Amino acid sequence: MSRPWPIRLLRHLALAMLVLWSGFPIALVVVSSFKPPRDIFVYPPRWLFEPTFENYTGLVKRWPEFFHHLANSAIVAAGATLLAVSASALAAYAYSRWRSRALTATAFFMIFIRLIPPIVITLPLFPAINELALNDTHLVLILLYATFFVSLGTLVLRAFVDQIPRELDEAAMVDGAGPFAVFRRVILPLCAQGMVAVGVFVLVYAWNEFLFAFIFTTTKAKTAPLTLSEMTGAIDGVEWGVLFAATTLQLAPIVALVIMAQKYLIAGLTAGATKG
Amino acid sequence: MQSRVGPAQWAMIAPVQALLLGVIFVPALYVFWLSLNKSSFGLAPSFVGLANYAEILADPYFWRSLRNTVVVVLLVVHLELLLALGAALLFAGGVPARRTMIAVMLAPYAISEVAAVVMWRFMMEPQVGMVSRGLAWLGLPQLEWAVEPMHGLLLAGLLSVWLHLPFTFLILYSARLALPNDLYEAARIDGASAWQQCRSITLPLLVPAMLVAMLFRYVFAFRLFSEIWLITQGGPARQTEVMAVYLYLEAFRYNEFGLAAATGWIMVLASLLLAIPYLRQMYKRMFAPEGVS
Repeated sequence: MSRPWPIRLLRHLALAMLVLWSGFPIALVVVSSFKPPRDIFVYPPRWLFEPTFENYTGLVKRWPEFFHHLANSAIVAAGATLLAVSASALAAYAYSRWRSRALTATAFFMIFIRLIPPIVITLPLFPAINELALNDTHLVLILLYATFFVSLGTLVLRAFVDQIPRELDEAAMVDGAGPFAVFRRVILPLCAQGMVAVGVFVLVYAWNEFLFAFIFTTTKAKTAPLTLSEMTGAIDGVEWGVLFAATTLQLAPIVALVIMAQKYLIAGLTAGATKG
Repeated sequence: MQSRVGPAQWAMIAPVQALLLGVIFVPALYVFWLSLNKSSFGLAPSFVGLANYAEILADPYFWRSLRNTVVVVLLVVHLELLLALGAALLFAGGVPARRTMIAVMLAPYAISEVAAVVMWRFMMEPQVGMVSRGLAWLGLPQLEWAVEPMHGLLLAGLLSVWLHLPFTFLILYSARLALPNDLYEAARIDGASAWQQCRSITLPLLVPAMLVAMLFRYVFAFRLFSEIWLITQGGPARQTEVMAVYLYLEAFRYNEFGLAAATGWIMVLASLLLAIPYLRQMYKRMFAPEGVS
């Protein structure tokens, strides 16, 4: 397809603007994290400079607990992902292969319940969690994060299970396998793509989530986004360099993951969107 | 259909349903009960009927938070859809280094609200931030997000668009790619220009995907909390509160659990109302005779 040159130019300009809009804020923070602190607000900005780890050593010195909170984020994200993906896969298998009015009613409930805003349930959960002595634990965040993604996870994985030919289940059943054995030996290996997609959704959400972590953790189970917000909250004295170093460490692994899993993410989102 | 639904099938859906019931459904019902009571820390709840709702509906701060929410949701969702549609059409028409470009477009999806606030506050820092300087250089007014309530809401809105554009873009982009190619070929043979093809094939056929994306974004944008909380904390003088922030403050600052619960139920009802078309469609599709998925 050849387009006249003014159109081509416009398209390139539009693309450049979109890429700048999406990528520039991230690049700016990552690049600035390697600048000496006095250069951060220099104007016009310097794009060529001697990179330094000054901000990172500053972070280690002034916010040593940040690394503990990063580890908390990793534990919570891994736990929530494991729970959400396995629960969703199991339910997806049932919803894909069996049908009854009662079963459909539970599927409808699953979709319906997603409409309740998360902040609403913090009200009764806050005293309940205190009562159970579960506040400030990884477990609470894992349960909360997994719960808010099992609906989407089940829908997405169901679309993937639907594509596995039933003859494969039936062949295994003829060999005497029960439904759980079929799930383990036939379904799980064949919907691995979908499980990766759902896994990435949950990981991103759990790694970045702010509201629940803000309400339900104080010290032990605190996650990295909370520390970042504390660093920005220092009203007069935001140490931008140190803050950028921390932000870079928080975002780098998850951005890398999303970019690597691009293909699965698109497949998962397409499946989730068409199925509702 | 291989066999009847039995205990094995109920066991399979049990983990998902148990999580939803225990973590969302039962607490949500309890919130309803709470909304009918006067309750605070250390006080036994006493039944007051709909008094909490009446009190909220008479509270000017509630109406302001509702107005702010509506303003931000309308701005965010429509701006986002417009940008996403433009980007989807642009990408569908072919772009250089497509995979890399899509990777860049996707990147904000992986960024936490907190990190996004760090980035945008840095660029928007009065006087010294890069965008602030750019605006000054162009002779445009500054975005006084810490002082001017509307500016604060605008910044939170922009940030929200930035965070969620990847999602909406991907939905529209994959919907566009799913349109059959022969339609376009037929149109080309009939001599339709690129603009005519876009207007009479692409746009009408993308309407369902756009409606789905819009509905989802209405429901989710309505929950907006972190962006506002991290930028303005609802201030100055409670002028930039949105509903979720109003609820949070009632509950965790003023310890008015009854009022907060009533706000919560108003939010639930509003979300359900927004989603009625979607729920009806799902219901019809799921309970259709010989349920096609």
